Amino acid sequence: MSLKVENVSLIFGDGNEQVRALDHVSMDLQHGQLMAVLGPSGAGKSSLLAVCGGLQTPSSGRIWIGETEITGVSRSALTRIRQQQVGFVFQQSNLLSSLTSIDQLLLLVHMRGKRPGKADRERAMSLLDEVGMSHRLDRRPSELSGGERQRVGIARAFMMNPSLLLVDEPTSMLDQQRGRQIVELLVRECHDHNVATLMVTHDQGILETADRVVDISDGQLGERT
Amino acid sequence: MPKRKQHNQRRCGREASDWWSCSGIFMSDVDGVSVKAAGCRQVVDKRMMMFIATRDLKFAKGRFLLMGSVVALVAFLVITLSGLSAGLVKANISALMALPATHIAFEGTDHPGYRNTMIERYMWEGWAEQDGVKAMEPLGHTVFNARTEDGKPLELALWGLVENSIIAPLLSRGDNFGGEVENGVIISRGMLEKGVDIGDLIILDRVLTELRVVGVTDEHRAIGHLPIVYAPLAKWQEATYGPPGGPPPGEKLPDIIFDFVSIIVLQLEEGVDTAALDEELETTTLDRLGFYAASIGYESEVQSVQMIQSLLFVISAVVIGAFFSIWTIQRTKEIGLVKALGASNTYVLKDALGQALTVIVAGTLIGLLGTLWFNEQVKDTELPFMLESQTIITSIIMLLMAGFIGAAMSIRRVSKVDPIIALGRDQ
Repeated sequence: MSLKVENVSLIFGDGNEQVRALDHVSMDLQHGQLMAVLGPSGAGKSSLLAVCGGLQTPSSGRIWIGETEITGVSRSALTRIRQQQVGFVFQQSNLLSSLTSIDQLLLLVHMRGKRPGKADRERAMSLLDEVGMSHRLDRRPSELSGGERQRVGIARAFMMNPSLLLVDEPTSMLDQQRGRQIVELLVRECHDHNVATLMVTHDQGILETADRVVDISDGQLGERT
Repeated sequence: MPKRKQHNQRRCGREASDWWSCSGIFMSDVDGVSVKAAGCRQVVDKRMMMFIATRDLKFAKGRFLLMGSVVALVAFLVITLSGLSAGLVKANISALMALPATHIAFEGTDHPGYRNTMIERYMWEGWAEQDGVKAMEPLGHTVFNARTEDGKPLELALWGLVENSIIAPLLSRGDNFGGEVENGVIISRGMLEKGVDIGDLIILDRVLTELRVVGVTDEHRAIGHLPIVYAPLAKWQEATYGPPGGPPPGEKLPDIIFDFVSIIVLQLEEGVDTAALDEELETTTLDRLGFYAASIGYESEVQSVQMIQSLLFVISAVVIGAFFSIWTIQRTKEIGLVKALGASNTYVLKDALGQALTVIVAGTLIGLLGTLWFNEQVKDTELPFMLESQTIITSIIMLLMAGFIGAAMSIRRVSKVDPIIALGRDQ
């Protein structure tokens, strides 16, 4: 099991102002499996990603990434877990403006306290090659198209061999054709790297590519059959 | 290639790295910096502090050049002002600083100064008899307007020295006074810079005493920005207390004028009760800091320059702080992203502070180079400017501290950025 969520709730505010972003959510995800979570805006998709990635602490319930329980641990421990076990692909690619494509990946090596070496560079180049970006290694985000940025974001997510990949609306800023290509790329990479992938989206076109699809509404999950 | 094999090969990236680490040779990493691999332990360069910061510096060159220029200008101003301050001190009290004295005794008053003090013989003879006085010497000090033979106006401080004085300057050229020339004097460097030299005649205004330059010292010796002219004590007493133009023909000056000087230069052993002796001998005795401060304008000049310096330190801290504050706010989203990707607070803080330090150090060094250049331009002019290594080091340390504090105050907000903003949420 790569991700296990057990009876997790996330509540904002208090009293009459209380908003239940996640309502007793339970799920699990296997290695190499891609689960798509579909739902409209405000349904709780981003909240699910936030708690699974240790960016937010749930109000109740428990979460495991691999064998590690991430609920009830310190912020620094969460940081370490994110660094070592979680890969993120964000909605707007979220690349650092001053870094070239290859540096976006090598940064993760540096964050682990290691000076990026030849092997790291080769791995980064190989990942960028897989996503079709080997010809844009030294370009900064401002020199890339939206689809290219998203590809670099995907390569970055795999750089440190994560056991869990969290993907936030990867197609929302792209046209239909490019969105389709990005999703296909994600699915391929997820299977190739044998990484459990949780992808939240409101794009119905993704359904046929995902291994599992669940709906989210008012913070509650419901599996499609 | 089968998918599984590909996957394994990717995972073997770490093994490949280990092999590289074990090779025991120098290799160039992605930053072009050599990393030595010794045995199976890769020796990582401890200077490896920044990743994003160095790339930001390249990427936003314009902004950082602008900020670096501001730091350089502030550094130039601060170090230049320090040089000016030291120069002013030198111009004001260099003669006092060169005195081989622990104390100076003035005429008894609450506000001792060099222009309003008159010491009588019983005072210096009284000091000479005291225990704990290693050396004592009466000294005459009077400020005169004067002219050269060809009418060039001068302003000088005439010092009257006793025979074999411990205060006598080291001669660079010429002879000591007391030789064949009856009214011979020694001039210091300030007079040389005004075009006066050996053989020239200096005529003191009002008293019309004529002094012939017989010797020169290359040392800067000044008090209150006026160059010192050294004369025999009797000549000084004649010029200060005698009638204009000297004694009438056939007469000599009254003996009483030779019973007065301006101050007593003292070398005292530790523990001498100067207050009690002042009471007894009707003097006011000041230690070194005290007799420096008794020079007119010394304290106010130094305080003014120090106040400007302090303001510049504050300004540099505020300007650097403001720049990095705006820079941090602009980067908030990226900082959140880096944290979401697994960077610790320490990592992002080190990166940001390293960046700030790079800008501050580079700017300060450029400012220092500018000041050294300025020093070369003014070193042979009359501008009171003096750069000493201690002045430079103190100014640089103060500036770096001010800049770093300013930057640190604004950068600390980096640690408060919540990684959740990477998902498009507000903090």
